[in-house]
Amino acid sequence: MGRILIVDDTMFMRTLLKNILFSGGHDIVGEAADGAEAVARYQELKPDLVTMDVVMPKMNGIEALKAIKAADPAAKVIMCTAVGQEQMVKLAVKSGAKGYIVKPFQAPKVLEEVKSVLSA
Amino acid sequence: MFDEEGYRKLFVEESRENHENIVNNLLALENGDEQHVAIDEIFRSAHTLKGMSASMGFDVMEHLCHSMEDVFSLIRNGRREVTASLTDLLLTCTDAIEGMLDAIEAGETLSDEQSASLVQELQAFTEEEERGEQESSPGAATSAGIPPEQADDVDGRPLYTLTVAVDPSSTMKDVRAMLLLQNLEDIGTIHATTPSRELLEDGKFDGPFEILIESEAGEDALRTIASGTEISLLALSAPQSVPDAPPMIPPAVSEETQAPEPAPEPQIEPPLPQAPRTAKIEKSREIKNIRVDIQRLDRMMNLVEDLVINRGRLEQIAKKHGIKEFDEALSMVGRSVSDLQNLMMGIRMIPLERIFNRLPRVVRDVANHDGKVVEFTIEGGETELDRSMMDRLSDPLLHLIRNAVNHGIETPETRIAAGKPRKGALQLTARRDKDNVVIEIEDDGAGIDPEKLQKKGVGKGLITPEAAANATKDELVGLLFEPGFSTAETITDISGRGVGLDVVKKTIESLKGTIKVKTEVGRGTKFELVLPPTMAIIDVMMVHINSRRCAIPISNVVEVAQTRPEAIHRIGNSEAILLRDQTLPMHRLEDMFGRAGKSDTLVVLQNDGRRCCIVVDSVDGQQEVVVKPLSRIAGNCRGISGITIPGDGDVVPVLDVSTMI
Repeated sequence: MGRILIVDDTMFMRTLLKNILFSGGHDIVGEAADGAEAVARYQELKPDLVTMDVVMPKMNGIEALKAIKAADPAAKVIMCTAVGQEQMVKLAVKSGAKGYIVKPFQAPKVLEEVKSVLSA
Repeated sequence: MFDEEGYRKLFVEESRENHENIVNNLLALENGDEQHVAIDEIFRSAHTLKGMSASMGFDVMEHLCHSMEDVFSLIRNGRREVTASLTDLLLTCTDAIEGMLDAIEAGETLSDEQSASLVQELQAFTEEEERGEQESSPGAATSAGIPPEQADDVDGRPLYTLTVAVDPSSTMKDVRAMLLLQNLEDIGTIHATTPSRELLEDGKFDGPFEILIESEAGEDALRTIASGTEISLLALSAPQSVPDAPPMIPPAVSEETQAPEPAPEPQIEPPLPQAPRTAKIEKSREIKNIRVDIQRLDRMMNLVEDLVINRGRLEQIAKKHGIKEFDEALSMVGRSVSDLQNLMMGIRMIPLERIFNRLPRVVRDVANHDGKVVEFTIEGGETELDRSMMDRLSDPLLHLIRNAVNHGIETPETRIAAGKPRKGALQLTARRDKDNVVIEIEDDGAGIDPEKLQKKGVGKGLITPEAAANATKDELVGLLFEPGFSTAETITDISGRGVGLDVVKKTIESLKGTIKVKTEVGRGTKFELVLPPTMAIIDVMMVHINSRRCAIPISNVVEVAQTRPEAIHRIGNSEAILLRDQTLPMHRLEDMFGRAGKSDTLVVLQNDGRRCCIVVDSVDGQQEVVVKPLSRIAGNCRGISGITIPGDGDVVPVLDVSTMI
């Protein structure tokens, strides 16, 4: 079970994800509403895992991912994506993302991905 | 755990914000304001709406948002111009989304009746584009993958062949394959894949694929990685040594000694230099705010009020027993309660932007409909008002804004003929002025002609011809607020929705506010709304009438004076008093409070510019109180707008001055 930081610009998505992760026994240590905040929260909280939305104001998920990985190459980041964003996700994977989950989220899939990334 | 209802509320609320963002940025796009910023914002909001609606299972909405996103994407890539007709279509789509949100909020099921045709129209836009683009379409994947390892590197570590399948239900099997290869590279060296790595990463594969990997991490590690999400390991060949290479690495070969260590993370680009810095500044901006249901706030407010009342009771008990220590403790409690009360009031305040933001769209629609050109500016949207007033203010504002465009601002031709700029100016400003919030709606249109008002007033029987002839301009303009008065030649479908200015005025007054008009023919019209920032707490003057306590809203009090019996005159059944050189009607409120013995203090009251005075025993002072409406059981009591319970726990009526004048 991991300490997780949730990054998404809508509270709706954060809540949704929070409840899914919580039901999987994970500990939500923090939330961030944009990329810049995600980077700051990461450094402050040092979570085991980050779920990172791609499209966000100020700094998008890919940029935030890069900044986080630059500061901590061992960071585990899962991208939250939607159908049609394959290219973005590939870019993210090349930038060091360890997994991805697709909206609309299905709880079992989310938990499976989180578990497998955490255990890797 | 968050329930279904909770999700829905949050969903509707955040969707509305995103919907509004799209609408306002569409308008900005049309106006030619910072195009890039606008389209990025639109794109982001459409994307967010899509994701949220998909999560809630609102397929109809998701499809519409998806189609919109496609169009926005074309605009963003510069492949589509934003034409008026495209803006219209997109705005119609946003209307449909708003309709859906309304339906969702009301718990209705969505129908795709309207949206299906919109989706088709949107698709027509994108397909048109795609036909032209098909030839020049860029390659699917960025082919700059990691170069395949060369077989020469083989150094004698165990070599495995993995047979792996990606779950057919995977939404992005290419990404899955890519992730797997990348994760495997963390613990070893991939020598080959069948099909080729490029095909795998482009998703051009069906069924299982094979990976030849050299790794010292052991079978278990490989198994773990190769059986992740949506990936299953079908076979793992027994380790075999690479032929022609000794099992042990000769210590002399220094380059190779590094190899057994876990490979470094796939290297990342250097961080954006500004990233961490902006992060510091913007840190935790939104998360520090939480959303709370307004009903909960109302309940909290009620509890705070109960606390105030009970503190009053305690104070009385304390007085009876005269325990000093108790008094001290109580005064501490009292301070906390007052602080809590102030805090609660502050929490309930929200910026006027909430209702201002929908107005640019209204202006655009009315202006387009009427063939007018209007520059609409909003200032002071950050001014705060109590949330409960906000809802009720929305319709009157909408009405005034519509009116201004519809009746106020002239057509471009008329304006040019009158020597005015072609574009009409409409300004909405809000500001805090001492204890009030002032909202002004000002246009530079035709103004209101008092002569027309005069004729119409007489024609409608709202004023007698004699009175009309003697009426001042202000009195004539006041006719606008009379029920059944409409200056428009014809009732248009824009302004004429059965709501007149009389309703606007009534609503504003029910919010304890006032509305005033200033108008000049040919120069324009200005409506000024003055509202208390909150209705629940007001400043009152506490007075005694016939030994009973009564509160008068301080906004209605002009002055306090002493009476001299000789200044009181009887006029028929009523009394009047000459105060300085003004004759004021005088009320003794005997029907409410009974006959008083010796009352010689006068309180001069005003409402809506008219004055009167009442007689009271004494003035006790000024106080901030919570006004509670009369319960439904008590019904409407003429003369009383509510009750208040000051610190001592007494129940005190609050005078409704408007009914006295």
